[in-house]
Amino acid sequence: MKKNKFESEGSKEHSFAVALPAVLWQILFLYLPLFFLIYISFVKTLDYAVLKNLTLQNYKTLIDFSYFKIISRSVALAFFNSLFCLILAYPIAYFLALRVKRLKNLFIFLLVLPFWTNFLVQAYAWFFILDNNGILNKFLLKVGIISSPLHILNTPLAIYIVMLFCYLPFMVLPIYSSMTKIDKYLLEASSDLGATSWQTLGHVTLPLSLSGIRNGFFLVLIPSFGEFVIPILLGGGKVMYVGSMISYFFLETKNVFLGAAFTCFSGFILILIALIVYILFRKLGK
Amino acid sequence: MREIKLKNIKKIFNGEIVLDGLNLTIPKGEFFALLGPSGSGKTTLLRLIAGFEKADAGSIFLGNQDITSLPINERRVNTVFQNYALFPHFNVFDNVAYSLKIKKVKKDIIEQKVINVLKKVHLERHIYKEIHQLSGGQQQRVALARAVINEPDVLLLDEPLAALDLKLREKMLVELIDLQEVLKTTFVYVTHDQFEALTVADRMAIMNSEGEIEQVGTPKEIYEFPQSSFVARFVGSTNLIKGVLRSEDNKSSIEIPDLGSFEAMLPKKREWACNGCSVLMSVRPEKIEISKKKLEGFSNCLEGTVDSIVYHGRSTQYHVALKNGSMIHVFEQNEEHFPQEVIDYDDNVFMYWQKENVVLLEK
Repeated sequence: MKKNKFESEGSKEHSFAVALPAVLWQILFLYLPLFFLIYISFVKTLDYAVLKNLTLQNYKTLIDFSYFKIISRSVALAFFNSLFCLILAYPIAYFLALRVKRLKNLFIFLLVLPFWTNFLVQAYAWFFILDNNGILNKFLLKVGIISSPLHILNTPLAIYIVMLFCYLPFMVLPIYSSMTKIDKYLLEASSDLGATSWQTLGHVTLPLSLSGIRNGFFLVLIPSFGEFVIPILLGGGKVMYVGSMISYFFLETKNVFLGAAFTCFSGFILILIALIVYILFRKLGK
Repeated sequence: MREIKLKNIKKIFNGEIVLDGLNLTIPKGEFFALLGPSGSGKTTLLRLIAGFEKADAGSIFLGNQDITSLPINERRVNTVFQNYALFPHFNVFDNVAYSLKIKKVKKDIIEQKVINVLKKVHLERHIYKEIHQLSGGQQQRVALARAVINEPDVLLLDEPLAALDLKLREKMLVELIDLQEVLKTTFVYVTHDQFEALTVADRMAIMNSEGEIEQVGTPKEIYEFPQSSFVARFVGSTNLIKGVLRSEDNKSSIEIPDLGSFEAMLPKKREWACNGCSVLMSVRPEKIEISKKKLEGFSNCLEGTVDSIVYHGRSTQYHVALKNGSMIHVFEQNEEHFPQEVIDYDDNVFMYWQKENVVLLEK
């Protein structure tokens, strides 16, 4: 693993120069605005005039208004969406990586295909499926499972369904990638030593694909927490989530100071959740 | 401990026939080697016995039990893989204990068995080490211990020493022989290295590039009495010279154009070994005596000029050009520091061998 000392020092200097534009971009458009956001969350104003520097007033307002309900709703959405994605994605990744021999590339292509479509367009497409006169209801009515159309659109159920399908590839791909790295001989060795395919899955495949599960979990968990397109479009916008609440603060009420405090507080909660999940995965890995 | 019988095994990979109607019996309790060039299908044969591959035709018996379609995990056969295939997320103990844990054996019995088997492979001090902390040779021993702990009827070894250096390989070969003697399990050892096969095997099978078995026998039988030119060439090196067989009464000789007539022993009842038939004469290089002088007491003599000399340390290899342009290889032991006779390039030499050391082969 260790490279020639001479070589690595040379490439270090080189790589810094190459990375500089990206670093500057990050500083200008991510870290500076973030710092500014944190700063104004501690500022009390009246009609855009700064009244008093550094106060916790904005955060106290948040407690008064009990925005906790919104945050916990988003936490639940993020966690359960990740969990449902995992349950659905693991078998898909398993069959793609270890069972399917022919047409493997076609299946992966089909899986990645939604990435080529705009996220908003994907979400809109679900209207036609979940609507009272949509494909799903028409199908169920025709088959005779239901007698009157199911009311799915503009309910939390619609949000969960669409979130699940939109985020699924983000869970499948890391798990698939970690599974393809498993030495095939390990699986053969396991069955050679008497394990059934279920036992091999539990004792060998699952522990060795844990890093993929963890990466997929984070890839779904973090953006799900701040998701606002799907709750607004398919949830009818009646039920507030963190994402939609932030957009409400900044775009509707223009209360950027309270919005900043809400954003920072939600961000803090997200980091906390991510940390807990991270520790859980580390415990699982041992 | 049961014997393995392979009957009419056929295996096709992507439309290419790898094995076609192969028959082989591996006796119980023996150290059996499968030797063949790469691509001869020997690993495929091993994987068929283990159950990793399904035969397209034919059947496999373990003792009286037909295991042709028995699932891998139900076969009393264990494998040592070429890359060891040790579980990277387990330590030495958990790797070795794997098959017992699967069988839900009691914890204290598992512990005792693991310690016992690790003692046999001299790894008891490393019982709780992680796999990546071990050297290649130690990993090899863990793989061995893991495969034999469940006392299989047959242990399959797929080029297990390929990744080790020469010194370690020689040491492991001796340990493998000792282990087999202690366990009395049938070992099936696949290799393309003739030195390994000749060293470990009680009996061995030679496979050719077409996936056919050329000869089965003890290492000595294979080396001293090859039954085909493929075996003669593949195991060790040999001089193959084309000639015509002349046999009268009990005497037989090979007539070679431009070189003369050479005495040989007639093989027993071979169709191709008739009077006047064209045959191949095989003489191992180390069976030939080389000298600049005329010697007495040899049944065969051949004259030539030294073309090249390769010094190997314990022996010297001479390439001698004959009158008809073909080459003869001769191995000479370097028995003395200062040999009485020094043979140099372009020297005229005589090569001698006894008729008992000639093997006649079908052309």
